[in-house]
Amino acid sequence: MVAIGESVISQLRRGVLEFCVLALVRDEERYGFEIVRALSEASGLVTTEGTLYPLLGRLRKEGVVETTWRESPSGPPRRYYRLTAAGAAKLAAFAAEWVRFRDSVDALLETGVPR
Amino acid sequence: MMATTSLHPLADDYLDRLEHAARRLPRGERRELVEEIRAHLYEATHPDMSDAEILSVLDRLGEPEDIVEAERSHELSGIDRRGIHEWSAIFLVLFGGFVFGVGWIAGAILLWSSRAWNTRDKLIGTLVVPGGLAAGLWGALAVAVVGAGRVCTTAVPRGAERCSGGASTLGLIGVIALLAVLVLGPFCTAMYLARRAR
Repeated sequence: MVAIGESVISQLRRGVLEFCVLALVRDEERYGFEIVRALSEASGLVTTEGTLYPLLGRLRKEGVVETTWRESPSGPPRRYYRLTAAGAAKLAAFAAEWVRFRDSVDALLETGVPR
Repeated sequence: MMATTSLHPLADDYLDRLEHAARRLPRGERRELVEEIRAHLYEATHPDMSDAEILSVLDRLGEPEDIVEAERSHELSGIDRRGIHEWSAIFLVLFGGFVFGVGWIAGAILLWSSRAWNTRDKLIGTLVVPGGLAAGLWGALAVAVVGAGRVCTTAVPRGAERCSGGASTLGLIGVIALLAVLVLGPFCTAMYLARRAR
């Protein structure tokens, strides 16, 4: 397998990861570990689970997600994340852009001709 | 947040390494990050797991240094934390000393109560130079008077040309360097604090 630049993939990953988090908490609230595991099980999205927690912190500070603490059946309380109105707007804007971006790249990769 | 059960010793070791790596983060961020990872470990492990199973969980988490680095990069790209509190702290630490010294003390209190800086930043802010620019200028004046006095007393009995001799030239360089530190130090510290809080 030919190695492509690792930095290309990690930059792509870094760019889209926050929107993957927002999408995960769009329809239902989830706690940190749940978000991290869901992302880490999606192929190719996450290399180290631990680095997602700083991202969750940043999204909280930006106000695109809000959190509530709830008791856990075992262990320490869990922090549940939910999308805010600002987060929903940001996610919708990204989703629209992403479809255009993805379709253009796909068309070029498949046919060698821009669509 | 009290733990209801204990963690596997390997998971505890990992948290220790994380706390050590995170010591340069501001206190609030550090505490939050360590708590999140601790919660993760409670969810992902239990004390009866084999060492191999724990190591695989830790491997998925990544190196503590990488997690701290991710936190730092989010911090840098994140929101500007320089509010009125931080700008007041920077201003008073620099110029507050001119107000009978009390202004500087107020600045130091604001500095230490802000979450925008870590302990190292706060130590630099307090110690370079204690009292700020006012103390720096007074110190510089004292150094200049003492420095000039010594050059003159040694020079008088031996003739003026001895003044530019090796030892006194070195002394003069020392005095100028000290003057520069005392006067420029507080300005550099203010710029450093402004940059670190961003």
